Amino acid sequence: MAKMKLTTRGVSSTTIGLVVVLVIVVVAAGAYIAVTGVGTTTTTTVISTVTTTATSTVTAVSTSTSTSVSTSTSVSTSTFTSSETTNTNISATLLEDGSSLLYPAFNLWIANFSQYYPNVHITTGSGGSGKGISEAAAGTVNIGASDAYLTISQANANPGLLNIPLAISAQQVNYYFGSGNALNKIHLNFSASILAQIYNGTITTWNNPQIAALQSASVAAQLPSTAITPIHRADSSGDTFIFTSYLSAGDQYWNKTYGYGTSPTIIPSGVGITATGNSGMLTALSTTPGGIAYVGISYLNTANQLGFGYAHLQNRAGNFVDITAANIQAAVNARLSSVPTNETASLIYAPGANSYPIVNFEYAIVKTTQPSASILAAVQAFLTWDITRGNLGYFLLQVHFVALPSAVAQLSLTQVASLHT
Amino acid sequence: MRRQRTPENRGDRAYRLATAAVAASIPIFMFAILIFIFQYSLPAIRFNGLGFFTTSSWNLGNLNTAATVVKNGVTGLPGASYGVIGLLVGTLFSSAIALLIAVPTSIAIALFTAEDAPRVVREPLVALEDLLAGIPSVIYGLWGITVLVPLVQSTIAPGMSKVLGFVPFFGGGTNTGYGLLTCGLILALMVTPIISSTVRESFAKTPSELKEGALALGCTKWEVQRRITIPFSKTTIAGASMLGLGRALGETMAVLMVGGGSYAALPSKIYSPISTMATAIVSLLDSAFQDPTGLALYSLAEVALVLFAVTLAANMAARVFVSGGVTKAFVSRSEA
Repeated sequence: MAKMKLTTRGVSSTTIGLVVVLVIVVVAAGAYIAVTGVGTTTTTTVISTVTTTATSTVTAVSTSTSTSVSTSTSVSTSTFTSSETTNTNISATLLEDGSSLLYPAFNLWIANFSQYYPNVHITTGSGGSGKGISEAAAGTVNIGASDAYLTISQANANPGLLNIPLAISAQQVNYYFGSGNALNKIHLNFSASILAQIYNGTITTWNNPQIAALQSASVAAQLPSTAITPIHRADSSGDTFIFTSYLSAGDQYWNKTYGYGTSPTIIPSGVGITATGNSGMLTALSTTPGGIAYVGISYLNTANQLGFGYAHLQNRAGNFVDITAANIQAAVNARLSSVPTNETASLIYAPGANSYPIVNFEYAIVKTTQPSASILAAVQAFLTWDITRGNLGYFLLQVHFVALPSAVAQLSLTQVASLHT
Repeated sequence: MRRQRTPENRGDRAYRLATAAVAASIPIFMFAILIFIFQYSLPAIRFNGLGFFTTSSWNLGNLNTAATVVKNGVTGLPGASYGVIGLLVGTLFSSAIALLIAVPTSIAIALFTAEDAPRVVREPLVALEDLLAGIPSVIYGLWGITVLVPLVQSTIAPGMSKVLGFVPFFGGGTNTGYGLLTCGLILALMVTPIISSTVRESFAKTPSELKEGALALGCTKWEVQRRITIPFSKTTIAGASMLGLGRALGETMAVLMVGGGSYAALPSKIYSPISTMATAIVSLLDSAFQDPTGLALYSLAEVALVLFAVTLAANMAARVFVSGGVTKAFVSRSEA
């Protein structure tokens, strides 16, 4: 028996060796095919696989956007570079985590910031806004990133926590009818009340008369009888916060029954499916024909590359508006006078004929009391840089963000200056 | 024999004490974890009461208010309600589907690799089987998202709905590839190597006298396998299944990636999105940190406690079956 076992072992290890060699050969062959290229088909599969991991997607986003934008903004880059001097006095390592919507912007900012502050090292994460807030409150990160401001209960529980706007973002509603479907190229009209009924399972098919009523006659006729699969975030997300804020503002029933918040459990369970992170939302949508998903605007380029359509949303004035910089700006201007000094303000469902309805501040969540002088200096330098230099079009255009109006930027700088050890 | 009173020198004694102390850490850790989870979930047990096991709900309550409510001496947010039944059903159903597929498959694999396969085929097959058992679950999950989910969405689910549509739970719309069925399939794939390798070893131990005797009596190979090999390993098959069940119940990453996530709804059909207890703990953890009363975290700990109990039960059942008396009884009966 023992002898037999011994021989078995001997042969097994040879076979394992053979299997390993086989695997290496297959991988090498795969790599060869990928490199030499089976043309466009290979590229698209790479994109869709990459979207499943947050880090890689963003690299894909930034590379693709920078190539498209670089030509138009090369002038501003050169002027920008000459105006800043290198500061080596501040030396610290900062941790950042939170919003996956802000994550691409942070990566752009940090790459440039670190050229001028070479001794400040910042690591970024995209664990979701809820994580950004809770980690900043617990002190496990120096800067939490959030699309949502602090709720009353969070602010009460953490009196020393500030929310400081760094930029203005928006959110699009994407849908997908499957590869090659002409409807993907049409901007469908949606209202908060229709989206609310889709997300609570009342409206279940695309050709529902209520959806059709919002479209032009020719588009309405094209709507298929396919089932609608609403996709919502599985992690605690600022995108869920601003999306459900829109539904609450525009739909009485949603507001009374479900409300708004970052928790995935705000949205009724079991109606559609869930996905983690903005990149996860895109992956889920790409494999779910008939799906609908809310996605941060910094992922608009990726969404377009994947062939998804995005909606024109009904604003408070009743108009269906596109997610353009001008329409986002209109919403910000309409709410500008109501931004308090602690900058806890909603830009959702702003009045005005052109205001895009899902607009929000991108917040840095930081503690008023910083652990050390060097960390204080680094946090202040970085946040100040984000609010001033970081708001230049060179950075914001790449992620479709809009710059803070000067009044709000001033409030943010005052908050940054109030940090102390 | 072990307790021979031989004079021990000091070094031996110290060595023995040291190893005993290290070995003692196993039960200590086990109980430390159990006590911790229990203690941590105690406020939730008091707040949620028995409703935790009869409702399907996961609601943190109203975060946009400073108000709180007190129930059984525990503070929570207004409107907070927690119930595990949806997660429990998701866990048990996905594991059940996995076992329904994996057990027959594993027996077939084990029969082939233990008895029928020629040596040239058997060796690489066994080696591959062991490799398959060692693949990290996140890789299964990634494969699930990129290959299995689109396949279920486009082919498997619509096909099943069409053919088995008359059976309750199998009919209805199949618009997405994420859900209970996909979880069951991916779990089946993950537990098959575990079950089949255990069963194979047991098959290989079937006394050859019995098989030769049966062959001599004119049984066909199939009859030998059906009447001798499989019955001989009956308890091992049950035990290995429980072992696979233990793995399937606690599997997190792969299920999280293909489950579709439904925290508070019972699956209405086999294609419905689900969460299991393990995936819910992962995906609801960061939102639970937002609850300033801490109740959401305690409730997740209560979910962990239920998962712990269910997994422990499965593993203990496996232990009883695998080491259990039935195999021995069979052997002693056949020897007598």
